[in-house]
Amino acid sequence: MTDGQTFAYAFKTEHLTRSFSGFKAVNDVTIEIPRGGVRAIIGPNGAGKTTFFNLLSGLLPPSTGRVFFEDRDITGLDPFQRARLGIARSFQISNIFRKLSVYENVRLAVQSLYDGKASFFLPIGKTGDLHGKTVAILADIGLSDVADSLAENLSHGDQRRLEIGLVLARDPQVLMLDEPVAGMSPKETHATVELIQRISPGRTILLVEHDIDVVMSISTTITVMQTGQILAVGTPEEIRANEAVQRAYLGGLA
Amino acid sequence: MKPPPAPKWWLDLGLMAAAFVVLPFVMPGGSLDLNPLYFQRLPFHAGFIDLGTTVLAFSLFAVGFNLLFGHSGELSFGHAMFFAIGSYATALYTKGFTVYIGTSPLHHDPVSNLWIALILSLGLAALWAWILARLIVPRSSGIYYAMITLAFAQVIFFVAFRWSDLTGGEDGIQAISRPQLPGLPPDWMQSGTNMYVFAAVAALIAIAVNYWIVHSPFGSVLHAIRENKQRARFLGYDVNRYRVNAFVLSALFPAVGGWLWVYFIQAINPDAASVDYSGRVVMMSLLGGIHAFIGPLLGAFVYWDLQNSVSQVTQYWPAAIGLVFVVFVLAAPDGIAGVFEVLRRYGIKMTMRRTVEPADETDATTGVGS
Repeated sequence: MTDGQTFAYAFKTEHLTRSFSGFKAVNDVTIEIPRGGVRAIIGPNGAGKTTFFNLLSGLLPPSTGRVFFEDRDITGLDPFQRARLGIARSFQISNIFRKLSVYENVRLAVQSLYDGKASFFLPIGKTGDLHGKTVAILADIGLSDVADSLAENLSHGDQRRLEIGLVLARDPQVLMLDEPVAGMSPKETHATVELIQRISPGRTILLVEHDIDVVMSISTTITVMQTGQILAVGTPEEIRANEAVQRAYLGGLA
Repeated sequence: MKPPPAPKWWLDLGLMAAAFVVLPFVMPGGSLDLNPLYFQRLPFHAGFIDLGTTVLAFSLFAVGFNLLFGHSGELSFGHAMFFAIGSYATALYTKGFTVYIGTSPLHHDPVSNLWIALILSLGLAALWAWILARLIVPRSSGIYYAMITLAFAQVIFFVAFRWSDLTGGEDGIQAISRPQLPGLPPDWMQSGTNMYVFAAVAALIAIAVNYWIVHSPFGSVLHAIRENKQRARFLGYDVNRYRVNAFVLSALFPAVGGWLWVYFIQAINPDAASVDYSGRVVMMSLLGGIHAFIGPLLGAFVYWDLQNSVSQVTQYWPAAIGLVFVVFVLAAPDGIAGVFEVLRRYGIKMTMRRTVEPADETDATTGVGS
């Protein structure tokens, strides 16, 4: 993670805009997201949070504007190239290999590190220490016991955690989590929050989340979006005290 | 935690080799008048050994196709083009040809060298597959992929059909001599049995290569792509590169099948590139089961067995095969191999129940159970 070089920011966007047949889901966003810490993005439904995520991770190309990752222009890069640079993301709806075993899910994620190496046609056991790393990640996300189950047979919370395991496999510098605790029971939420806090040192974690308690408790800074634009950026306390945010979103919750 | 058990390749391939020994004896004998253009020209009595050789050639066609369909999850509806490329390359190389490009003649004398014919078959199939894959893969998937591959197969079909100077047009090329193997009598391969032995060895080698690919890390990425392209991409896999490579690899096995087929039948015509052939291999794979390695091989066997048996009873045999096909797609989407798997699991369950019951009784007697 620490490669000796230090960059001022993880992501930077310049006049980033994405329209869907005229509707600007993300509208002229220029922002720097600092390195390190947990950076949450909140905002009412339709504020453009997920679209913004999709632009950063490469799922969608922007209509105009540019995206930078650690001083490098990544606007035209495919998601797999961004993944290789150290950007990993999870999705709002669990995005896993449903018909494969939990073990195979994680093993494939670990194996991606060796993609393109000459050893790729060798038997699976001969390619690096896939097994050791896979076991370590399974233990980390607490799914060792169900390693042989098909991923589709896991509970919702376990599927969400499995996906975090998949994105962890490359030891990414930036982890983008799209509503990681959505639909989870309080117990599962607690376990996932702990997991996020455990993996956050040395990484930048970008978080889109509706659970305001989770956001307030784990975020370093919070970015509030509204109608495709940035409304405010600040620490949880600053956001709590921000009147514009209160009006637009929090609605007296805090 | 232990890593999952490695595939028992020696067991799987050993069983397959044993199956190839048995195969000719379980094919129905009798008339092979389904494709008269081919079989009338056979210089020997057409019997079950020949049907066995047919199954071998089509097994290779099917395992290649299934590398794409079953393992990468992409339906090519034109894979017969690679079978045809292998066939025509071998036929033309062996038989020789003279064509005129403009006014300048291009001449090739007959040569009987099966290895160079094999290399040509593989090389041309790989080249054509690579060009197509580079065009098709970034632009399409799903039904469009199927339709575009079909369209390109039609291109090959019409080249074979129309370029009469080279390909013999509708009649194709006949009287192609069988090759000689070093160290064996020159007429060794004239015997149907020897032809079968040669084809079985070649098929087993090709199937072993296919087995290796499917069970390699490369193969596991194909499964990942089949299950979830987007997730594979976001894990850092260059999905389109894998899809291109899978397409090229999947073209090689039909080409070997075509190479064997030409030596066996000693004739070739444009049917080899037809929609009919492309469709048959889809049917074979689905019949046998696309998610099991053995599936397409089983499918090729059952298809030809059915065709040969039913066609002796009725000329409407395609309807009968169609009916079997529909039943399988509806009731057993994982094909014959899937049915075996269900039975195997049921067997395990039964065995477990039998071993558990006595334990319950012990509990009852000691009173611990209740």
